[in-house]
Amino acid sequence: MSAARPASPPIESRLVYAHGLAALVTLLISVAFGILASIKLIAPDVAGNSAWLTWGRLRYDHTQGIMLGWLANAFFAFLYHAVPLLTGRPVTSARLGQWIFGLWNFAVVAPGWVLVLAGFSQPLEWAEFPLVIDAFVVLALLLLGIQFLPPFFSRGLEDLYVSSWYIIGALVFTLLAYPMGNFVPELVPGARGAAFSGLWIHDAIGLFVTPLAVAILYFVVPAATRKPIFSHFLSMLAFWLLFFLYPLNGTHHYIFSVIPMSAQIGAITASTLLGVDVIINVANLLLSLRGSGFFPRDIGLRFVGTSAVLYLIVSIQGSVQAQMSVNQSVHFSDWVIGHSHLAMLGFASFAAAGGLIHAWQRIPWARYDAKLLGWSYWLLLAGLTIMVLDLTAAGLVEAHWWQSTAPWIESVRAVKPFWLIRTLTFVPITAGFLALLCGLVVGPRGGGLKAIQKSIGLEPIQEIAPKLASSSTGRP
Amino acid sequence: MSYLAAGVGGLGFFAMSVLLLGVWPGRVLEQQIKGTSPDHPLPLTASEKRGRVIYGREGCAYCHTQQIRYLPADVARFGAATLAWETIFDYPHLWGTRRIGPDLSREGSVRSADWQLSHLYAPRSLVADSVMPAFPWLFEGAPDRPRQEAQDVLAYLETLGRNRALAGPEGDERARKSCNCSDDEKRFAFGSPALNASPAMARRQGSYPKLSLSGDLRAGQRLYSSNCASCHGIRGEGNGPGAAGLHPRPANLSEHEYTWDRLSSSLWNGGAGTAMPAWRDLARQELSAIAQVVRGFHATQPEPSLPQDVLDLGSRVYAAHCAQCHGENGAGDGSAAGQFPIAPTNFQTQRPSLAASLRALRNGVEGTPMAPWTAELSEAELSAAAYYVRGFFHGDPR
Repeated sequence: MSAARPASPPIESRLVYAHGLAALVTLLISVAFGILASIKLIAPDVAGNSAWLTWGRLRYDHTQGIMLGWLANAFFAFLYHAVPLLTGRPVTSARLGQWIFGLWNFAVVAPGWVLVLAGFSQPLEWAEFPLVIDAFVVLALLLLGIQFLPPFFSRGLEDLYVSSWYIIGALVFTLLAYPMGNFVPELVPGARGAAFSGLWIHDAIGLFVTPLAVAILYFVVPAATRKPIFSHFLSMLAFWLLFFLYPLNGTHHYIFSVIPMSAQIGAITASTLLGVDVIINVANLLLSLRGSGFFPRDIGLRFVGTSAVLYLIVSIQGSVQAQMSVNQSVHFSDWVIGHSHLAMLGFASFAAAGGLIHAWQRIPWARYDAKLLGWSYWLLLAGLTIMVLDLTAAGLVEAHWWQSTAPWIESVRAVKPFWLIRTLTFVPITAGFLALLCGLVVGPRGGGLKAIQKSIGLEPIQEIAPKLASSSTGRP
Repeated sequence: MSYLAAGVGGLGFFAMSVLLLGVWPGRVLEQQIKGTSPDHPLPLTASEKRGRVIYGREGCAYCHTQQIRYLPADVARFGAATLAWETIFDYPHLWGTRRIGPDLSREGSVRSADWQLSHLYAPRSLVADSVMPAFPWLFEGAPDRPRQEAQDVLAYLETLGRNRALAGPEGDERARKSCNCSDDEKRFAFGSPALNASPAMARRQGSYPKLSLSGDLRAGQRLYSSNCASCHGIRGEGNGPGAAGLHPRPANLSEHEYTWDRLSSSLWNGGAGTAMPAWRDLARQELSAIAQVVRGFHATQPEPSLPQDVLDLGSRVYAAHCAQCHGENGAGDGSAAGQFPIAPTNFQTQRPSLAASLRALRNGVEGTPMAPWTAELSEAELSAAAYYVRGFFHGDPR
């Protein structure tokens, strides 16, 4: 990919920075919604019983904020960094970028949150913002296509690196899938609408979040390790399998429902095969990471490497829980909440954070504090691990009670301790995200470039000399 | 060329997914709905529609599903599996993918209106360990003062399962014949012993197990305080935190003497027409233990022996004014009893204290057809009747 590339493609650093900051701010707000919602499960009357802070509305804002606030903004920041590098051409227009930024944050995320809290929403998963907001989302998605797609199409497709494929796929398919998930169930009632809803629940993850996250993985790994990826063939194989299989997963949210059994079985089959696809994809990524260690010194790469592992785990888990024998007991339970956090807080957020850090390191005037970012990594990993294990166990406990003849409330009583632990994981998770924010807004300007040099062993001689001296004398 | 191939391939994948998992199932479902639906299922009224919007807005569907799956555990707990036509008025659907609370597909006939409203207003006043959010903004400061919005939600909740119930066994039979579904699916959709399997659904009649006299008192106290005290109060005085919004008020258990039979029936079948749910999901020995606790609330007092003329007066008053509902022998089986949504008190199995008896005669029992009798009866007649009804009680058979 380097042959045809001009020496220094123009990157709109200010847009990277703006979307990056917006991502982190909306992230912390979304996390606050999540914390409050989780507290309300163990102490339902905390924070009063006002309409604006009722559990349902907080939950809507939590997931919409994570997807459209944090992940989307982080992805857009990454796109402003990556698209010029992938294509050797600038994005369509910086001016358009300002419009998209304003539209996305001030016509979608912020008013969406407020409208949901004020009681205007739609009760569809991953589509809770009201219809008026959806119109702006579709408009913004169109503009994003105009912003990022032309640079790709000015080159031959044969030249495209796998990240480019994922980016094109995500931008095009989200534009198609979003209206399907948000508008169709309003027009098609009941079971028939649910079939479309199921498709979107998975498409939101599969056609928007996953491709962009995987684009980051495939971008950051070779860029940070300075080695080509293990296999371009495998990367393309996995890409096409993903776009073939992911849209076919949706109905697995409604197994044992009245939706035709053959559609359910088709979705289960696709879900199983998807696990195979992810094994190929992650194997390729991990083979590309050989020699970097489990926890690379480059924090961006470290987040990205862990994201790949989490992607593997969450996908295998997904394949398993789509099987009828597993699904019949864990469906509807906290097991699934654990699964979705493993996907969104684990795989996707780690990829987004990795991409953001990677782009940040390469903005010469951006502040950067490697130590804080290191803390962020460990805190998030710890919080995520505890939360997912805890919720998985909670789901099994619920499943146990639901299979019994005991009163329903027993299942609620039984999981309360698990919910308490889940709420407590807000400490490492919030601290981790705060450290991420701080790591990117405090510290010396240009600290990122230094971190890059350090991670690839290009430390200035005056830093290395004392270490050499101490190691030769045997003192620490 | 490769642009074209990739573009067509990619878009083709997406189109295929929509066709295979969206459009085609939709066609099949449409056919099935046509074949299985009753001719004229009731659409939602304006109020019920508004209630549905509030249900969606407050995120109810994110803890309560509205789809009973084709699985033994679901059918056993909630009732017959949900058919496609049951949700045809749902724009958008409210199936849900998470259960923190129970499925509500058949909720319409499970609980009384006052229970639902009190529960919306302050869920933990009725179900101590509930984690459901409270919705006080739908009310005017009290559970029995619902705003239009709360009434709309209630109206909507009462539609859940309504059309399937109205379709009746005939409707199910017809659906079974024209349903293009497997034997397994038929078993779950039509083979369930009850359309609504909720163990809390009160019923006016029904067999019930005889509770044993030897409950574990300590276990009973624990069960009572987590399940019963929210309405009946920790000492059984009918003044728990949930009592305020309920009409009729929860029984004051300390003022009444109950036979074992009466307690067995109340716990197993609930109090039809009142907020008292049934507790068929508790184990028999747990119910026995609770009954033991309830019996303990009543302190036996020496009964005054009354002159014959008072009893005669009571008997005359009773025969003239009370027997139509409460029955000639006080068994709650008078000729008019069947007309009321709430069964008249059976004095043979339940003896009120004199004070309670007098109070009911003087003030009536709010929320029931029992009206005050002060306009019709003199003070002497009221007292005589209050004494007289207590004489029907026969205690437990030896």
